[in-house]
Amino acid sequence: MIAIALRTLRHRPGGFAATFLSAFLGAALLMAFASLLDTAAGADEASAESLGTTASVAGGWCLVIVVFAVTSTLSLAVRQRGDQFAVLRRAGATGPQLRRMIVGEAVAVAVLAAGVAVPVGLAGGRVLLGLLKDTGQVADGVGYAFGPVALAAGFGVTLIGAVIAGFATSRRTSRMGVKRERPRARRIAAGLFLGAAAGCAVLTATVMDGKGIDAMQTAGQAGIWGSLGLALLAPELLRLTGTSVRLASAVMPVTLFSGIATGTVYMQGIEDDAAAGQIQPDYARDIQTLNYVVVGMITVFVAIMLVNTLIAATVHRRREFAQLRLAGATRGQVTAMVAAEALRVTVTGILAGSAASLFTILPFGSARAGEIWPSASIAPYAVIAAIAVLLTATATLGTTRRSIRGPALPQA
Amino acid sequence: MTDAVRVESLYKTYDTGTPVTALDGVSAAFEAGTFTAVMGPSGSGKSTLLQCAAGLDRPSAGRVFLGGAELTATGDTAMTKFRRERAGFVFQDYNLLPALTVEQNVVLPLRLARRRADRGRAREVLGTLGLAERAGELPERLSGGQRQRVAVARALVGRPAVIFADEPTGALDLRSAREVLALLRTTVRDFGRTVIMVTHDPMAAAYADTVLFLADGRLAGQLSAPTAEAVAAHLTELVAA
Ligand SMILES: Nc1ncnc2c1ncn2[C@@H]1O[C@H](COP(=O)(O)OP(=O)(O)O)[C@@H](O)[C@H]1O
Ligand SMILES: [Mg+2]
Repeated sequence: MIAIALRTLRHRPGGFAATFLSAFLGAALLMAFASLLDTAAGADEASAESLGTTASVAGGWCLVIVVFAVTSTLSLAVRQRGDQFAVLRRAGATGPQLRRMIVGEAVAVAVLAAGVAVPVGLAGGRVLLGLLKDTGQVADGVGYAFGPVALAAGFGVTLIGAVIAGFATSRRTSRMGVKRERPRARRIAAGLFLGAAAGCAVLTATVMDGKGIDAMQTAGQAGIWGSLGLALLAPELLRLTGTSVRLASAVMPVTLFSGIATGTVYMQGIEDDAAAGQIQPDYARDIQTLNYVVVGMITVFVAIMLVNTLIAATVHRRREFAQLRLAGATRGQVTAMVAAEALRVTVTGILAGSAASLFTILPFGSARAGEIWPSASIAPYAVIAAIAVLLTATATLGTTRRSIRGPALPQA
Repeated sequence: MTDAVRVESLYKTYDTGTPVTALDGVSAAFEAGTFTAVMGPSGSGKSTLLQCAAGLDRPSAGRVFLGGAELTATGDTAMTKFRRERAGFVFQDYNLLPALTVEQNVVLPLRLARRRADRGRAREVLGTLGLAERAGELPERLSGGQRQRVAVARALVGRPAVIFADEPTGALDLRSAREVLALLRTTVRDFGRTVIMVTHDPMAAAYADTVLFLADGRLAGQLSAPTAEAVAAHLTELVAA
């Protein structure tokens, strides 16, 4: 079974490019942060504590995003090959056999990605250590170590993520008969995530009130859980706006991006204002840097997920485009139609993300600055929205243009 | 005479927003060692009937017997194991895996069934179908007719009692179509297999011993020892009705 899976992988590796890329980036990030724990083992007590904080705060939610990205890219890669699994099923593959194949493929991609990520994670960890030394958090004499914790985190999380994603995806593929998406599990997960978001938000506004910068931990998490929860509800949100539910997979990354980016940037803004003139714990600078690193990484992951889903959705619609063109639509008209859809996707995602970011902003503002609505500039929000629009527009129009190039002939 | 396949009061409803009734109470028996063609207008439920009879899909109600044992009484995995011992399949769009060579495609059902993937047997079947030299090639290098012969080889390799074919000649030119039909005919006559074939082509149906007609998910007549002309005439009546 595994042999067939591997042969398929080798035959058309392109289908797994996005899965590979997100697993690779995720593993590299996790290894970089986890190597700080390896480094801490050989450091003095104060340095070790700073290293530990950095690793666990950033590494912790990094894990959530990596699992989400790997799952979404993998399930897309599998769904795109639905016809191949149908062939296997007709040739006599049982459900458990198909499941082993899909999980086998996922594991192969994950192991490869994590392996390639080792040198990148090693270099990234060195950079992080340098940052911490520059801000005086870690003593200059501490030597960099990349060891078992880094390797275990990088390989472990990527592998476990791939196995979970493989199982989740194959459950749908291997079932017999007409397969309709079952929204129940997704809605339950969304509910749990939103519950976690609310919990973290309440914690921030109550227990963490007056704890200064430390309130960021729970406040930041509230926004991440909220974004994940709303991202999972993308089909329902689209239905509200009357847009085709088929584009739900594109709304997810936009929601995640705008939610986490807005929440994090404004949280840091509130913190900067509140901290002005106060004596700050000496790790405040690190956290500031980390917060911006976080936003940057989210942008990269989201760009991969977005481009991946949009390319898949557009390629899938090649036939529809060809029919439109045969019916006399000009290339401009097809492009305009797709652009209008992309706009609705982006607006839905940005609105959902904005709502999610409030899970971070409101309680943190209340806990840190004593005011729920931040007296901050709208400029960062505008920049985030503009990035979301730009990403969606580039990915959609680029792939659409490629698939309607040439004469209006029906395509196979 | 034993029935190779028997279906009793099959109903199938697809629930996609508005429910579509594809099979509306179909009962039929297919004798071992016979070649049956299933015909009817597009959308009359031919493919659905084939898929339910072959254990590729579950009917909404009704029973399916394959070789005397009830297929519909078992779970998904057992049903798959059962059908892969006894049934072979040929479809209009070949259903070959692009990453596997011709020979690997042919032995795929054996490997999935964990039966010894007997190279000798694969070579033998490919040889009979005139594909011995192409065994190591990928399907994309073959013509449509050759691909369909590979699919037939795959259907035959496990020596199944029944071969189900859904529009096997639908994508082929006339000569390749005749070759494939003659092959199916031979497996019935010389090897005692049972063939059930969906087609919309009266010429193809004329290769069968019996033709069953379907309309709106129900049986609508039967012809024995059919000629292309008789089949075409019956079809015209069905469409006009
Ligand atoms: N997977 C499916 N989902 C929903 N409707 C289906 C599905 N497969 C077939 N149908 C519907 O069932 C009816 C019979 O289809 P089918 O068995 O494919 O007919 P035929 O093979 O005779 O053309 C048609 O109305 C078709 O639209
Ligand atoms: Mg059909």
